[in-house]
Formats: sequence, structure tokens, C-alpha cells
Amino acid sequence: MSLFSSLSVSASGMAAERARAALLVENLANAETTRTPEGGPYRRKDAVFASEPVASPFGSAFANAIGAEGTGVRVAEVLEDSSAPERRYLPGHPDAGADGYVAFPHINPVEDMVDLMSASRNYEANVAAISAVKDMISHSIDLLK
Amino acid sequence: MLDPVAGSLERYMDLLAARQKLVASNIANAETPGYRTVDVDFEQEFRSMVAGAQPRAVEVTGLDINHDGNNVNLDREARMLAENGLRFQVAEALLKSKLTEMREAISGGGGG
Repeated sequence: MSLFSSLSVSASGMAAERARAALLVENLANAETTRTPEGGPYRRKDAVFASEPVASPFGSAFANAIGAEGTGVRVAEVLEDSSAPERRYLPGHPDAGADGYVAFPHINPVEDMVDLMSASRNYEANVAAISAVKDMISHSIDLLK
Repeated sequence: MLDPVAGSLERYMDLLAARQKLVASNIANAETPGYRTVDVDFEQEFRSMVAGAQPRAVEVTGLDINHDGNNVNLDREARMLAENGLRFQVAEALLKSKLTEMREAISGGGGG
């Protein structure tokens, strides 16, 4: 039944939004990080989504035989901000350069908070879709009673 | 086995399930750059659909496209989600009454 693959579609949406929220939270946590293993300040990360046909956990040949094609989503790539870091004059800071400036990440917490809200809303929308489909499935099962 | 009405109901429910899947796709891709909202042409598919045929997904026109080429409108999808669920429930209730009718005919109206 094609309804079951709708669950996979919504689940892929939930996974993608969750991955994005994880990156946004990482950005917020590292808003003032001046040291990273790669050297230099932390760089803002963001997810780019791409649509993708869903793989059904059940036999795909059977699943594809019924119903219109559904499209899931995945995180295609994680982009790192390449803009120049913000320079602050802090001569006493251990990471200060010879000129007394410290490179800080170019992060605007407001921007990340707004994106985080949108990721959370989209996650909820996917949850709503799952519960609607779940209702339809359980109603079909009621036909047997 | 059952009458033509039951056959139509079955097709109707199949089509609703297919449509709900597209709504789920639209919601999952609400932030995918370049993704366009898809739906089935419900009336036309319902008229022309023969048992076992696959409904075709078509792009929805008339929606605002935002800066990254995506035109998913979550309000539209929420409405479709609720509407499909309710329509499915109605069809399910009707089909259930057909089945009950058949069962009663088999058991002799409860007297036997």
C-alpha cells in the first residue's frame, strides 16, 4: 500500500530537519570559538537539502507497483561559511595575532535562532503528516473488523 | 463481488492515498531548493483511472515561488493533509457499511 511509503517520505523529512537543527545548534554553541582542530575560528555551517526518491524498507518492487511516486528529502551537503572572520581588537587574548586582533566566527545568533525555529516548525509539519497517514492506515485496518 | 459503488470507493481511497503521499513529499521538501509542489489532478484521475493504473503527479500552478525556486506552501499542505484524512474516513465508513450489508446477506440478516 502506497500509504506506508508516505511514512518513509515524512521520516526522511524529519531526519533532514533534525540534521539541520543539529548544525544550527552547533553554530550557536560555537559563536565565540576561536580555536578549531583545522586552525582558525569556527565557521558557520548550514545544510543544503535535495529531494530523493524514498527507499521503502519493504520490497521496493511491490511498493513501487502502487501509487504515485513520492519524493523524500536528504541533506545533500553541509556548507561552511567562507566569509572573512570577524576581527576584534583583544591584545591580551591568547589567540591574538601580532597586531592584537583576534579572529572570531562570523555568526549572527539571531539568524541561527530564526533558522532553528523554521527547522522545528518543518519537523512538526512532518510529524503531522505522519500522524494523518497513520490515521488513514488504522482506518483501513478497521475495515477488517 | 461487491457492487460498483464499492469499486468506486476503493478507487477513491487509492487515489486519496496517492495524494496523501504527494502531500507528505511536499512537506518533506518544504526547504529543498528548486522543489515544486506536486499533486494529482483528482477529478480527471478519478474519472479515467482503471483498476491498478498509477495516477500521474503534476506540478501545481499558481503558487508563489520564493528566492530559492521552491514553491511549497505549508498552509496549503496542512489543509490538504486534513482534507484527505477526512475524505478517507468518509469513504471508509461508506465502504464499511457495504461490507456489513454483504456480511448480513451471507449470515441471513442475523436470523440464521
